[in-house]
Amino acid sequence: MIIPIRCFTCGKLIADKWEDFARRVKAGEEAGKVLDSLGVKRYCCRRMLLSHIEIADEIIKFYEVAGKGKQLRGQ
Amino acid sequence: MNVEILEKTDTNLRFVIRDADAPFVNALRRIIISEVPCMAIDEVVILENSSMIQDEVLAHRLGLVPIKTDLNAYNLREECVCKSKFGCNLCRVALTLDVEATDTTTVYSGSLVSENAAIVPVSANIPLVKLAPGQKLKLEADVRLGRGKEHAKWQPVAVCAYKNMPQIKINPKLCDACGECVKVCPKAVFAVAEGKVEVRNLLACTLCLDCVDACPKNPKAVEVTWDKNTFIFNLESTGALPPERILQEAVKILDKKTADFLKELAGEKDETS
Repeated sequence: MIIPIRCFTCGKLIADKWEDFARRVKAGEEAGKVLDSLGVKRYCCRRMLLSHIEIADEIIKFYEVAGKGKQLRGQ
Repeated sequence: MNVEILEKTDTNLRFVIRDADAPFVNALRRIIISEVPCMAIDEVVILENSSMIQDEVLAHRLGLVPIKTDLNAYNLREECVCKSKFGCNLCRVALTLDVEATDTTTVYSGSLVSENAAIVPVSANIPLVKLAPGQKLKLEADVRLGRGKEHAKWQPVAVCAYKNMPQIKINPKLCDACGECVKVCPKAVFAVAEGKVEVRNLLACTLCLDCVDACPKNPKAVEVTWDKNTFIFNLESTGALPPERILQEAVKILDKKTADFLKELAGEKDETS
């Protein structure tokens, strides 16, 4: 759904690094190197960012449309 | 006992403890994980939440946000002078969050407004929820001190572990610098220089003994042992407390525990037992 706040295994804070990570990987940087530069060393924390899919971004589209519908109906 | 610091950053502390024994170092590790107090959001009153994240999921996310902790100014709820389960100014800090989205937005931990400017989330960039236009979020969150044994959110550390100091001996009479141990070592402890195998990075050794297995010589040219009384201790804070403070608090707690134990042994039992 949305990026977990902490690493499931060790408890390191990872959520604050997600947006930076996602943006840089999308821009074409190598994921492993981005993780290194963000200071994510252990493989438990690395998999958190590496394997995450932000489904929230997909779901929110439905709410955006629903919100627009309400506005059109004047609710 | 003698302590030597190898590495110290804002969140990380790596040090060597010499002339100690495993029970002592392990006691320190267990106290750091389960008994050194730090702050976390414990109760959340949700006044309005029309976001796609359910109330309880949001409360859980908030609970996991590491909070900068002030151990000097605040008391543990159960030890506080107020003796109230709702807490007082000495054992609770209120955070509030009030956002209404006009565009699709992400709500970050930086939007949490604290009544004490020193007690705030470790990072202001933690995404809490995403809101679509028109969605609202209004809540009050109570921060309090707690211990890791109650819930892992009150654990001040991410990593807290130790290992014995490795001792690697290479027998120059048997070793012909074939390089098998250099190839197999996952931590690149060895290197070949001038026709000889050298130990380059002793502290990185994880004592896996792969180098001993890989050595083609019989008897083996490389011998890996460990010093039972020397430890490499690694501590990584979540950011709630500086790592050196975590260690100081752990030592204080251990001191108190041993003092209490000695008191009991001397026969000064408290009335309840």
